[in-house]
Amino acid sequence: MFVLVLALALGIALGLLTNVSIPAALLTYLGVAVLAAMDACLGGVKAALEQTFDDKAFVSGFITNTLMAAFIVFVGDRIGVRELYLAAVVAFGVRLFDNLATVRNLLFHRWGWE
Amino acid sequence: MAENFNRPALVVVIGVLGFLVAISFNTTKQLTTAHPERASDLASVVRDLENQRTELQERLADLRSDMDVLEAGAAESAGMSDSYSRELDQARLAAGLSGVTGPGVEILLGDGGDVAVDGDPNDYLIHDTDITAVVNALMAAGAEAVEVNGERVVATTPIRCAGTTVLVNSARLGSPYVILAVGDPGALEAAALDDPVASLLFTAYKTQYGLQAEVTQADEIVIEPYKGTFRPQYLLSEQGGQG
Repeated sequence: MFVLVLALALGIALGLLTNVSIPAALLTYLGVAVLAAMDACLGGVKAALEQTFDDKAFVSGFITNTLMAAFIVFVGDRIGVRELYLAAVVAFGVRLFDNLATVRNLLFHRWGWE
Repeated sequence: MAENFNRPALVVVIGVLGFLVAISFNTTKQLTTAHPERASDLASVVRDLENQRTELQERLADLRSDMDVLEAGAAESAGMSDSYSRELDQARLAAGLSGVTGPGVEILLGDGGDVAVDGDPNDYLIHDTDITAVVNALMAAGAEAVEVNGERVVATTPIRCAGTTVLVNSARLGSPYVILAVGDPGALEAAALDDPVASLLFTAYKTQYGLQAEVTQADEIVIEPYKGTFRPQYLLSEQGGQG
C-alpha cells in the first residue's frame, strides 16, 4: 500500500517539477486519460485484494480503455458533438465508484472490521 | 499479504496517474495566469489615450483648414497658376483628405441573433475579415472612396480585429458597421454580392446566423475625409526617378 502512495506522490512531484503542460485544446484528452488511469488503478487494487491480479489483463485493459476514450473524444470533436467525451467520463466514473465500494469492503474484511 | 499490492504494473500506472494529474494542474494554472488582472488597468490607459487622440484629431482638422486658407493665399500672392491648385486638390482627393459625395452604395453589416445551443458565438459576429472582404470587393469594383462607420479607408488604413471591436485607422468600431462607397452603384452592389467571401455574408451567414447584411444603392453618398495623420518615417520620394 505504502509503495502505491509513494508512486503516486512521485508521479505528481515529477510532473510539478518538470512543469510539463499541454495545449489547451488537448485538455479534454488529458482529463479522460486521468479518469482512465484512476479507473485502472482502482481496478488493479481491487484485483490485487481479490488475488486475481493479472499483469497482462491490467496493462492491456488500461491501454485499450485509454485509447478507446481518446478515440471517442476525437470522434466527438470531428462530428461536432463535443459532449461525446461525457460517454467515457460516465463509463469510467460509474466503474470507479463501483470498484471503490468493492475495495472498501475488501479492506474492511481484510482488517477484520466486519 | 501486503506484497500483493506491489505489482510493478500497478505501481507504474499509479505513477503515470500522478504525472497526468500534475500535467493537468500545470496546464490549468498556465491558462488562468494567462489572463492577468492588469487587463483592466490597460483598458483605462487605452481609454485615456483614445481621448487624447480625439482631441489631437480635432486640432489636426483645425490646422488643416488653416493650412487650406494659407495655401490659397500663398497661391494667390505668388500668382501661381490655377493648374497648380487644381493639382493640389486632385492629390487631396486621391489621398482621401477631402470629404466627397457621389452616387454609390451603403452596406450594413450587423452581428447576428441568439446563438444556437451548440453554436459557436464567433459565427454570429461580424469580423474584421468580413469587413475587409467587403471593402476589397468594393475597391476591386472601382469604388473611388470608401468609409467604415465614418472612418475613411485610405492607402495606409488597417482593418483588423481588436478584441470585441474592429480597428479601422485608429478607431475602434462596433457592430453595426455601415460601409459607404462612392462609385457605379450597380457595379458596386454586384461586386459585394458576387465576391466569393463577401457574398456569404448576404446569403448563407445571413440565413444561418441571422447576421444583418444589406446593400442599398444611393444617388448621393457623403463620405468623410480622413481624420488621421501621415507621418512618414521611412518614406522618401524618389527624386529624379523615371517619369
